[in-house]
Amino acid sequence: MSVQVIFLVFFGAAAVWFGIVVFRTHSMVRSALALLFSQTAIGAMFLVMQAEFLGVLQIMMMATEMSVMAIFMVMFMMDPGGMGAMDMTHQKRLSLWAGGIGLVAAVLLVWLPDWGPIALAVPSAQQQAEDLGRELLGRSMFIFQSAALTILTAMVAATMVAIVPNAEQRK
Amino acid sequence: MILELMIALTIGAGLFAVGLYGALSQTNLVMIIMGVELILAAALVNLVAFWRYLHPDEPAGQMFVLIIMAVMAVEMAVGFAIAISRFRSRGSVEMEEARELKG
Repeated sequence: MSVQVIFLVFFGAAAVWFGIVVFRTHSMVRSALALLFSQTAIGAMFLVMQAEFLGVLQIMMMATEMSVMAIFMVMFMMDPGGMGAMDMTHQKRLSLWAGGIGLVAAVLLVWLPDWGPIALAVPSAQQQAEDLGRELLGRSMFIFQSAALTILTAMVAATMVAIVPNAEQRK
Repeated sequence: MILELMIALTIGAGLFAVGLYGALSQTNLVMIIMGVELILAAALVNLVAFWRYLHPDEPAGQMFVLIIMAVMAVEMAVGFAIAISRFRSRGSVEMEEARELKG
């Protein structure tokens, strides 16, 4: 078994385990931190798969995103520390069945088909960054700009939705 | 090398299943957003695995990862905006108390 397989299994198992912890703990702050660890483990998986730029981007982006999420958790939750051990779930049986069926279907789709020839070598990190830059500013320019415009629209829309005055302020 | 691809895709399947369970079972809007984030993270793992083990010379594979990351950021921004709006008007982001949104 190669070193890559060992690290892939380790970080992958960590990502799935922390993903499960997100919905098992009663403390919302712990949930946000578990999601941060899960996303960081995914970033480490990218590094193992030799996608250096994407791995570092994933870790940096998710660290910021989950910190913001932890702040929102404390703001909005009735019991952010989880001291009351409140049950905040519903339709548990349906969700478990949906998750289980989704898992079995996805695993079958992964293991049954023939994936064809596997590539052994990847371009160097420098070459990858250069190729990605040329792709984004060349052939995929329209898609890249559409994503940028979507983010800008979402930022404006999110601000407008968040600052709309409530009924008391309108009086 | 085929084993590495299978492992990465199986981990993606596991993340998708956990995220689907979370998105369906949680009553709090922020927790539902966390479930959707896990589902999108599963898509990221699959895309990087496909790029690495099937088409490493094709940078479009990495470009798709950036698009999914943008979708994650947009989903979180809009989700939190709705949460703020809901909290300001109703004082709660519990989805059990949002039955009037049902069509």
